[in-house]
Amino acid sequence: MIFTPKQPEDNVNVSKSHPLIELLWLLGGLILLVGLIFFLLGVTADWAASKVPVKVETWIGQQALKEFPAIENHSLNLRLQSLIDSLPENSLLHQYKFHVFLVDSEEINALALPGGNIVVYSGLLKQVQSENELAMILAHELGHFAHRDHLRGLGRGLGVAVAAALLFGEESAASSLVSKTLLTFQAKYSQDQETAADQFGLDLLTKRYGHAGGATAFFNRIKKETGGKFPYLLASHPHPQNRIDALMRRIIGKSYPIHETIPLKNDIFTDK
Amino acid sequence: MESLLQNFDLVIVLVLAILGYTAGSLAEKRHYRSIIKREKELLKMAVVTAEGSFPPGKVGSSALVSGSVVISIDYFKRLLAILRNIFGGRVKSYESLVDRARREAILRMKESARKQGANMIINMRLETATIGRSANKRKSVGSVEAIAYGTAIVMNKG
Repeated sequence: MIFTPKQPEDNVNVSKSHPLIELLWLLGGLILLVGLIFFLLGVTADWAASKVPVKVETWIGQQALKEFPAIENHSLNLRLQSLIDSLPENSLLHQYKFHVFLVDSEEINALALPGGNIVVYSGLLKQVQSENELAMILAHELGHFAHRDHLRGLGRGLGVAVAAALLFGEESAASSLVSKTLLTFQAKYSQDQETAADQFGLDLLTKRYGHAGGATAFFNRIKKETGGKFPYLLASHPHPQNRIDALMRRIIGKSYPIHETIPLKNDIFTDK
Repeated sequence: MESLLQNFDLVIVLVLAILGYTAGSLAEKRHYRSIIKREKELLKMAVVTAEGSFPPGKVGSSALVSGSVVISIDYFKRLLAILRNIFGGRVKSYESLVDRARREAILRMKESARKQGANMIINMRLETATIGRSANKRKSVGSVEAIAYGTAIVMNKG
């Protein structure tokens, strides 16, 4: 055997393609894939959410509620019950056993959780000045239940998050990237839901008190504290001014009367 | 500014990817230049995987020689590999990594043999490993280790 050393001309072990081109292709393919899954889920989850029976939803809700450090509030329950009594007999909401929980927090927010659980933050209550306003807020949350909004949101976002977790693994940066991007698209979906819930809440408020007074008062108050409209493009709630405008349009369109509001009784905070 | 802080981990990923691409490409080019230069110098030393059989008296002395190297996977390469893992196909970003590691290991082995005055290396074996629990695990950028070992022999003159 004769040994003739020779330096090879080029490297057979390394592909010639440029890494940035490869990155472009892979990212493009990934975005396309995620978009497709999202679209498919959007088409099917909406239909599925409307079919979930209340019993199943209540079970899901019990699981979700374990995460929340909140105390059930009897006074709020009573107020909610008087709203539900104003609903027509065939309303879906009569199948729910509603519970209202009060969370001690500075945040100005209220949530509708699956299974008939409503969580109200004490920060929100401090901003409320009349019984009518409180009824409007509770009725708004009832609107979410009536439209099965919380289940729709859950279905789509959860479906994609599960798909991402299956593909990339739960700990991976890719699945958190995917869920972050999708949360912004979800926001527009929620703004429409919020507007529909506002309309439902207004109708229920008027049925309960016989007039629409107090419907916009809360939003007028917090409007002063919120900034311009730009951050609201991607937020989950519409800008307060937009909500006020939509409510006023409906009040005028349906000729709802507006009378004096009842000041807020303070039995909520003394309730143990 | 707020949205930047909210998506802080996204920003970190982006920064690391850019850093990996720029610094990594630079380091790779330099390493290849060094490899090619040294390969030219050590061209005369034969390295074979064959056992070799020599006529009696031909081999003066023999010794075990080895060369090893650890090269880090930069973040950009790792990103490409993770994306590749979804779609399948050749993970091209790791090819240069492994190639460099193996050639460097062989070069170091040759160098160590040369220091001992050997003429050739027979029965060479090459092994590659990833250091760290898993090279693709989250929050850990792993490294590739390559080790080349063989028997260096000094031939008797005449």
